[in-house]
Amino acid sequence: MRYRSQAVAYWYFAVAMVLFGLQLVFGLLSAAKYLGPDPLLYILPFDVTKVIHTNLLIVWVLTGFMGATYWMVPDESRTELHSVKLAYIQLGLWVVMGVTAIIGYLFRWGTGNKLLEQPLPHKIVIVIVMLMFLYNVGMTIKKSGRFTTTEGVLLLGIGSAAVLYLPALLHYENYTVSIFYRWWTIHLWVEGVWEMIQGGFLAYLLIRLSGADREVMEKWLYVIVGLVFFAGILGTAHHYYWVGVPQYWLPIGGFFSALEPLALVGMAMYAYGAMRRSGLAHPNTLALHWTLGSAVFTLFGAGLLGLAHTWPSVNKWTHGTLITAMHGHAAFYGAYAMIVLAMISYALPSMTHHRREQGTAIGYWAFWLQLAGMFGMTLSFATAGIGQVYLERILGLGYLDTQLKIQVHFVMLIATASLFTVGVALFIWDFFRYAPRFEVTTEVDPDMRMDAPPIPEAPRLA
Amino acid sequence: MNKRQSRVFAIACTGIAALAFLILTLDSHRQFGKLTNAENITPAVTAGKDVWHDNNCINCHTLFGEGAYYAPDLTKITQLRGEQYLHAYMRDPARFYNEQTHRRLMPKQDLSDEDIANLIAFLDWVSKVDNQGWPPRPILVTGASIPGTDLTTSQQAHPTQQESAGLPPGARTVTQGDDPIALGQALFRSVAPACNACHSTAPRVNLAGPTLAGIAARSEQLVGSAEYKGSAKDALGYIRESILSPSAHIIPGPMYSANGQSFMPNTYEQNLTTEQIDQLVAFLATLK
Repeated sequence: MRYRSQAVAYWYFAVAMVLFGLQLVFGLLSAAKYLGPDPLLYILPFDVTKVIHTNLLIVWVLTGFMGATYWMVPDESRTELHSVKLAYIQLGLWVVMGVTAIIGYLFRWGTGNKLLEQPLPHKIVIVIVMLMFLYNVGMTIKKSGRFTTTEGVLLLGIGSAAVLYLPALLHYENYTVSIFYRWWTIHLWVEGVWEMIQGGFLAYLLIRLSGADREVMEKWLYVIVGLVFFAGILGTAHHYYWVGVPQYWLPIGGFFSALEPLALVGMAMYAYGAMRRSGLAHPNTLALHWTLGSAVFTLFGAGLLGLAHTWPSVNKWTHGTLITAMHGHAAFYGAYAMIVLAMISYALPSMTHHRREQGTAIGYWAFWLQLAGMFGMTLSFATAGIGQVYLERILGLGYLDTQLKIQVHFVMLIATASLFTVGVALFIWDFFRYAPRFEVTTEVDPDMRMDAPPIPEAPRLA
Repeated sequence: MNKRQSRVFAIACTGIAALAFLILTLDSHRQFGKLTNAENITPAVTAGKDVWHDNNCINCHTLFGEGAYYAPDLTKITQLRGEQYLHAYMRDPARFYNEQTHRRLMPKQDLSDEDIANLIAFLDWVSKVDNQGWPPRPILVTGASIPGTDLTTSQQAHPTQQESAGLPPGARTVTQGDDPIALGQALFRSVAPACNACHSTAPRVNLAGPTLAGIAARSEQLVGSAEYKGSAKDALGYIRESILSPSAHIIPGPMYSANGQSFMPNTYEQNLTTEQIDQLVAFLATLK
């Protein structure tokens, strides 16, 4: 930790860890209900556990993004945060919002609009928190006068995420129109501006961990951003299949969402290329695992598995089946959970006492168990989904009869989800078992190294 | 490409895509009204939408294929199940399905009759939205468009065994306390010969016999028309007549009859009790 105010990040990460753990409790409960019968039918029915599962995901990942940004911006701009106090007020408000929303869901106090279930007062608090956050980060950068491209991409991502939340505040009389604008928030978040955020963190980590040349990294970051938006904005159309919008969204969705993996291929190549060419090997190899893992798993979960059912003539049969759950779990985990865990793993050794810089043995177990568990869950959803598509959609077997025939995959889902949970529990344990330490150390900024080896002649990524 | 050029690339890509997206959005707004029959969004439909949201339906079911995957898609449900059926079902789902056999059950919702009526109005509006003909084949809740595929292999091998007794694994054992419609639905699959061996309740799925989707509405039209040959006075009477004496009125088509004799078995009058016939009629009358 080179700046005292970076300590703020620790508390954001700590909250994120707790919420991540809680998310899995509700995930496991929901999975168990797939096997049934459900003893909690009138206490905690599926709709409640599921809405809490997905909302906790959004809240903890955003908490992680905010913490990671508060860690990264002082490093990049070489200054203390504008206001530590504001950052803590922001965290407090955010936690109160999150906790009351979750309690409300237990009593079905929500909008019943998938992923945007937050009641209006909560949505307003979310916007206020976002504004506080942007103000604080913006003022920090302004004060320092040093604004890097990596920061710019990150900030633009966060700012756009706030702007794109606005359509979610409005009310639409026509259900189809409300679906149309719901995706402006959800899709343009996860397949647009959040990828910018991920790209920003990825660039930061690669520059720090591999010592890759900043000019080259940032140049490619722009290319990735360009590809993300070129494909991602019009790729929204793949959510407009079969919902009552004009026909032309079908071919547009097919074409542009088939292009979406390009940016992800770019991101994975970028990470791998940076590692290969690196002159400096940072001791934190655990963070390196998470960083590369995120790039590769995103390519698999978001890219490959998204591509698998994005073409309209395929999606016609797979739409609204467990195939979507397959893609959703792998994509979200790879792109957003893993990048937050990468940032935490990178920052943690300098925020806690006696932690090995290269990562602890428990940390590695956490990494591999999570990876194996999530891969298994993805396969379970995939096999269940394929069975469902053939039996229910193609052969015309009733929904309930089909679900009975694919029970074995739900058993597999619960087994692999348990493995994943062990991995997450280890990560959380590893996070909390060392006491935090908030003193400033003199870590060398790779941009300012005097004895840096000559950077091999630059652009060889393409 | 240097850094400046790559920045221009990023901005240009984003700008072009965003512009195209906005133009298409404007054009979509031009068409929303027609595609979604916006003029049919009555106060009942709007109130039904609120019922849908307030009860968090989307976190188990899907609508237009969007939502959670724990319960059946409801996009076209009003075309597969009649209003009376849906009313009775929503009052108490446990009278239609059994958690022990299906391993899942919809919890009873706290809804008034008005809420239910509004919800059905909303779902009916949804079912008529022009969504490029999705789903390509009807998504059934239970049963099968192809008879027998909802049986386990052991049930197919030993159709007479007590435990199977002709009921698919998903079908519940009903008791006399159940709703007559639910009893009729069970009979539809368990009488001998089973109705669903030849008739599907999915639209456009004609098996050995014609589909029974919308049978109630079609019966009403038929009874009032000149081409009707039987002696029934109303739709319910016609449905009863078709079960008891299938040849009283013949549905045109060489695969359904020959020489004025329907291919449908005429044994139900002897094999079923009056009460069972009533229950079957009650179930079929909900298929509107």
